[in-house]
Amino acid sequence: MSQAVISKNPYVFEVRDLNIFYDDFKAVTDVNLKIERNKITAIIGPSGCGKSTLLRAFNRMNELVPGTRVEGEVLFDSQNLYAPDVDPIEVRYRIGMVFQKPNPFPKSIYENVAWGARIHGYQGDMDELVERSLRSAALWDEVKDKLDQSGLSLSGGQQQRLCIARAIAVEPEVILMDEPASALDPIATLKIEELMQELKKDYTIAVVTHNMQQAARVSDYTAMMMLTGDSRAGTVIEYTDTKVIFTMPKDKRTEDYVTGRFG
Amino acid sequence: MPRKTFEHEIQKIKDDVLVLGSMVEQAILDSVEALKTRDIEAARRIYTGDQLVNAKRFEIENAIMIAIATQQPMAHDLRLLASMMEIISELERMGDYAKGIAKINILMGEQPLLKPLIDLPRMAEKDVDMLHRALTAFIHEDVETARTIPQEDDEVDALYNQIYRELMTFVIQDPKAIERANWLLWAAHNLERVADRVTNICERAIFVATGELKEIDVSDDELIAP
Amino acid sequence: MFNKRKPSQVPHDAEKDAFQPHLHSRHRAGRVWLLVFQVSTLIGIVALSALLYNVANAAFGYAAIENKVDPASLSINGIPLEQLHPLDLTYILQEHVSEGLFRKFAREKPMEEYSREEIYDLVMRWVVQPQVVETWTLFDSLAHRDEIMRQAAEKYPQARIFFRSWLTSQFLTTPQSSKPEFAGVRTAILGSLWTILITLLFAFPVGVGAAIYLEEYTIDTPLNRIIQTNINNLAGVPSIIYGILGLAIFVRLLEPLTSGALFGYVKDATTANGRTILSAGLTLGLLILPLIIINAQEAIRAVPGSLRQASLGLGATRWQTIWHHVLPSALPGILTGAILAVSRAVGETAPLVVVGASTFITFDPDGPFSKFTTLPIQIYQWTARPQAEFRNIAAAAILVLLALLLTLNASAVLLRNRFSRRL
Repeated sequence: MSQAVISKNPYVFEVRDLNIFYDDFKAVTDVNLKIERNKITAIIGPSGCGKSTLLRAFNRMNELVPGTRVEGEVLFDSQNLYAPDVDPIEVRYRIGMVFQKPNPFPKSIYENVAWGARIHGYQGDMDELVERSLRSAALWDEVKDKLDQSGLSLSGGQQQRLCIARAIAVEPEVILMDEPASALDPIATLKIEELMQELKKDYTIAVVTHNMQQAARVSDYTAMMMLTGDSRAGTVIEYTDTKVIFTMPKDKRTEDYVTGRFG
Repeated sequence: MPRKTFEHEIQKIKDDVLVLGSMVEQAILDSVEALKTRDIEAARRIYTGDQLVNAKRFEIENAIMIAIATQQPMAHDLRLLASMMEIISELERMGDYAKGIAKINILMGEQPLLKPLIDLPRMAEKDVDMLHRALTAFIHEDVETARTIPQEDDEVDALYNQIYRELMTFVIQDPKAIERANWLLWAAHNLERVADRVTNICERAIFVATGELKEIDVSDDELIAP
Repeated sequence: MFNKRKPSQVPHDAEKDAFQPHLHSRHRAGRVWLLVFQVSTLIGIVALSALLYNVANAAFGYAAIENKVDPASLSINGIPLEQLHPLDLTYILQEHVSEGLFRKFAREKPMEEYSREEIYDLVMRWVVQPQVVETWTLFDSLAHRDEIMRQAAEKYPQARIFFRSWLTSQFLTTPQSSKPEFAGVRTAILGSLWTILITLLFAFPVGVGAAIYLEEYTIDTPLNRIIQTNINNLAGVPSIIYGILGLAIFVRLLEPLTSGALFGYVKDATTANGRTILSAGLTLGLLILPLIIINAQEAIRAVPGSLRQASLGLGATRWQTIWHHVLPSALPGILTGAILAVSRAVGETAPLVVVGASTFITFDPDGPFSKFTTLPIQIYQWTARPQAEFRNIAAAAILVLLALLLTLNASAVLLRNRFSRRL
């Protein structure tokens, strides 16, 4: 997995027959989907349908939970992330993540951004990297005069953008976002959504969201997940252009979900 | 988890669309009847009555906007509301055609009819019948019916052609009759347009049910006059 | 009284009756419980006051002191003893003490190198020999001053009667002595400090390390649950058990190590054994290890999981996550827990008696292989003496111990605040 093999493959991820288990409990079953480069792909679905579990399979965050087991393949640039010789540390370095609750480190704003790059042995101009990352996260103008203040002194929306700056400072190819705006007020949410549109020029984004309007606003493609079968494991029941999902979904369950008549 | 409030709101809007529809149907029938009997008083009532149609249309439009703003409709709900927005505008135009016929009646003043009206009331009845079934198909999302109704436009076109030819013979006989022939031709033209607009309503009915939004192919090739 | 809003459906009378607010009795029950809590607090305050009163009562008060030799009789040419030249003092000393004792002083260092104060102290101690003949408690001293004066003048016409604090700077800086007037707690304080140092050096890294392992690396298996339960139980084991353990392991089994023989650090081969500061420190370390582990575990557990996820999500290793994020966040809690655990170790007596703290020792401990005594041991030993004066100095030593504990606790608070602010 070296940086050199950036292929022309239009798909960043290709998920094949993915099953995810927590001990004996099957959480996600038979997922097959491709995630396109420089697009925003949203994963929606009711609570507990395995959206976050699927998202975390993309950078192997699932295995931090003891007892998690993954079957199937997640190809990233044609390389299976779950092959035995793949180091999860490198996976997470190439595929960044932004979490539901803003979780900046209890360090200065500067350190929040610089830390990730530093542990990965960044040799370049750190000040320049910090500024570039904060600018990319549309936060620079708000914090440039207080870089030495604690990241926790910022507002919730600013904290989340700091977390995005922190993620892009290590120059990943993909940013996974797990309900990035669910803890934020509407204005901060819209800022994050605007930012996502900017970011997709340089990154591929996969976002889990509870907020259907948000998925409709920001994403290019939408995967609808739902518990299915006797095992009640989550799977993708419909995956297509976002416009189609929200105007004329094929699947009745998707229709019921997006029109708010689920269950 | 049905959305009772929202569904109630949608039902109310649907009912209002049907009310608007029957107002327009009545206006079309009445305007032709008034023309047939040369009842200018009735024509004046129809002419001013169009304001009620317009007011109803604005009322429904407002209700749809509120539903969109407050309920964030998606998928089927969104298609339904968007389509109803379109349909009320079609209905309002049809109301304007009825108003146009009433205006012709008023403008004709004391002049007698060029000929007794036979095909024009038949056209009006056909229009109203098509409109009524189209709205029913829309409400019931009856795709089959919605697909067949536009075919019947041919009948209306045929009647229009017939009226046109007939009036032409009157004009050839007596060129001074041209003005009175023109009055009737306009009225026929209005009724022909109504049928075309019914086709648009059928397109919306199919769209709501299937999500498929395309022109129903009904060529006006048979028309011998605009 | 509020009127309850009328429900849309008026309930049947039976339903209405189903609610019986009993507001009066509910408020009364609340007041009774409040009273119970207030009384509990009051009992605590009374107990603490009684303790402090008891200690202060013995640590301060009137004392009657008789001199064996009247200092006035030692004055030369009318110059009082306090103002005499060192040479004169040396002369007086030589005159009054035995030749052997004087040679002993001279052996320690040449007489001319003694400062004036030192010689004065020697004269006071060996020539004047003041002796406490009776002491009165602080309460009596304040309440029955005249009575005491009268009584003392009657019984001890020779004695000087004055109000004294048994806790003096001299008390803190002089070593142990068999005479209460001259006894101090210097060796005990140093012994305590050395022991704490060893205890901390052993228990802190081991305890924090174990806590990190248990919290950050292990997963929930039956074996780990057994280990965890045992650690929790060990925290409740009586300290004397640890003393016996320390005696068996550190004093006996690891004697070459704890006596310093292994490192060639033996001053006197004939008396060298495992009963050293090192053994005591390690024993106390074992004693507080479960406390430190549990406290550190709790502090580590309190670090939000989102912080770990943020770090791991950036591609940090588990160790980088622990070192850069988990430990800095948990540090205030870990330090507070450790210092509170040390406070407990400072006050321990039983295990040290078993391990073999010396009860009488006059030289300062100078390293981990020294013989030692500690403050609680000293207090314990003094309170066991029959002479009343020892109870006074025991009380003074208790005050010293309390001050030491308060200092430790205060530093715990300061450290916590300091590290919390940094975050």
